[in-house]
Amino acid sequence: MKKLNILALLIFVAAVVSVFTLDTPTTREIQSRVMSVLSPFIHSSTAIEETVSNVGAPAVDPKEVRRDNERLQIEVERLRIISQKYVQTLDENNQLRELIEFKKNSAFKMTAARVIKRVSSTWWNTMIIDKGSLDGLATDTPVISSAGLIGKTGKMAPHMAEVILLTDETCRVSAKVDGTLEQGIISGERAGLDLRPDLRLRFLNRTAVLQPGATVVSTGEGGIFPAGLTIGRVKRFEMKDITGEAVVEPTVDFSQLRHVFVLDAQDNNAAAPSKTDSAVPKAVPVTEAQTKP
Amino acid sequence: MVFYPVTLVLLLLTFVVQEFIPGISMAHHATLLLPPVFFFSAAVAVPFPMMLILAFITGFLWDARHLPAASEAVASSADSLISGAMASPEIVTGGGFGIGISIIIFGLLGTFLQGVRPLFKRGRVELPVLLVGFTTFVWLLLEYLIQTFLRGSLFFPTAVWTKLVTDTMLAMLASPLLFLLLYSLAGLSRYEIKYDGLKYSFDGR
Repeated sequence: MKKLNILALLIFVAAVVSVFTLDTPTTREIQSRVMSVLSPFIHSSTAIEETVSNVGAPAVDPKEVRRDNERLQIEVERLRIISQKYVQTLDENNQLRELIEFKKNSAFKMTAARVIKRVSSTWWNTMIIDKGSLDGLATDTPVISSAGLIGKTGKMAPHMAEVILLTDETCRVSAKVDGTLEQGIISGERAGLDLRPDLRLRFLNRTAVLQPGATVVSTGEGGIFPAGLTIGRVKRFEMKDITGEAVVEPTVDFSQLRHVFVLDAQDNNAAAPSKTDSAVPKAVPVTEAQTKP
Repeated sequence: MVFYPVTLVLLLLTFVVQEFIPGISMAHHATLLLPPVFFFSAAVAVPFPMMLILAFITGFLWDARHLPAASEAVASSADSLISGAMASPEIVTGGGFGIGISIIIFGLLGTFLQGVRPLFKRGRVELPVLLVGFTTFVWLLLEYLIQTFLRGSLFFPTAVWTKLVTDTMLAMLASPLLFLLLYSLAGLSRYEIKYDGLKYSFDGR
């Protein structure tokens, strides 16, 4: 082997080792910078895709119609969420008053975002939204829609963010089956690349009795997601060697996502209730939802 | 030597072009993974040190762009005796491995591809095209196997094979065009593709 090749190999190994020893903040900074550099091209690709898909559309000022449509969709989603929260909050209020001294939950803010594209890379389920760090978003922030939990934010660019979908194995949520004391960790299946893959609620009691159709909600005890976010419905229960496992169908259709809402990072912890609160089998802890367009 | 910097620029350009390539939703979002395919194609056209440089850049940028971000809280929880996963089950690292794995895989596969440089030099692209498909398949499979190993369960759904095969086929379809591009570039820059990468040389002294 030539000396130059050996030298190149040694430098290569040293460079790889230095990359492996990068700490998490540095890695995240590098990822954000790479995403920021590529963000204009991601926006352009989305614009091209939209243009191509709108070729066959009627010529009635499509830009205006699309803008109106987007605005109305956001408004409908926002009102739907507020309406759901309102009904659930009333119900929750009645229950809490009877059970415990009600601790008023703080409202959390939401930022509306448009889904730019679904990322087709290797083995991760992610998508990109059009709001980023300069819009007030932060990493590891829950992303929801009116149908339920979608995932959490990942890499950030100034006006763009990656969302790690709930169907990805790396997006884990502490969850429980509504109306029972069964609690576990829910996540997607590895390479769950289908349009609507099932989720797995693991570490349940082997003797658990779960009814198909039971709602699965977040517990708020995992460190990222607040309590009461709807995740899905139980399809079936499977007994494993040590624990039980529920197969859960997500309530969100991930192939149809157009607009999502990102919860404000600073309010997540405030919204997450104490353990006493989470023992109450009820859905959403929000008393009022405020949205930023 | 204009060939090397232009190849480097083309490699960087492929990351931009990648953003414009849509995924095939019916094939589990399989797509043409242009930067790795370009690297595999270029690996047979450049000498060993240049191949390593390309492997490093491709792997580093690919991981930086496509690997999910590590959780912020991971760093702080790492100091604790209780691991982050135990203390906060929702806080997990990016897919089980961080930036850098792809660099090693690309380095190894690039070294393997250096072996077909004599054929490429003679203008025979059949075997290189097959090998680009093979290396694409091996790269994706290795990534998946590493994930599987780190997460602790052997799980191979149909979606994995569908995506692997589709990605490989798309890579093999694109690679002749990339070889043609590299040939043209070599001709324009008067770069001679020669095999001297891994052979043992002994001058008797």
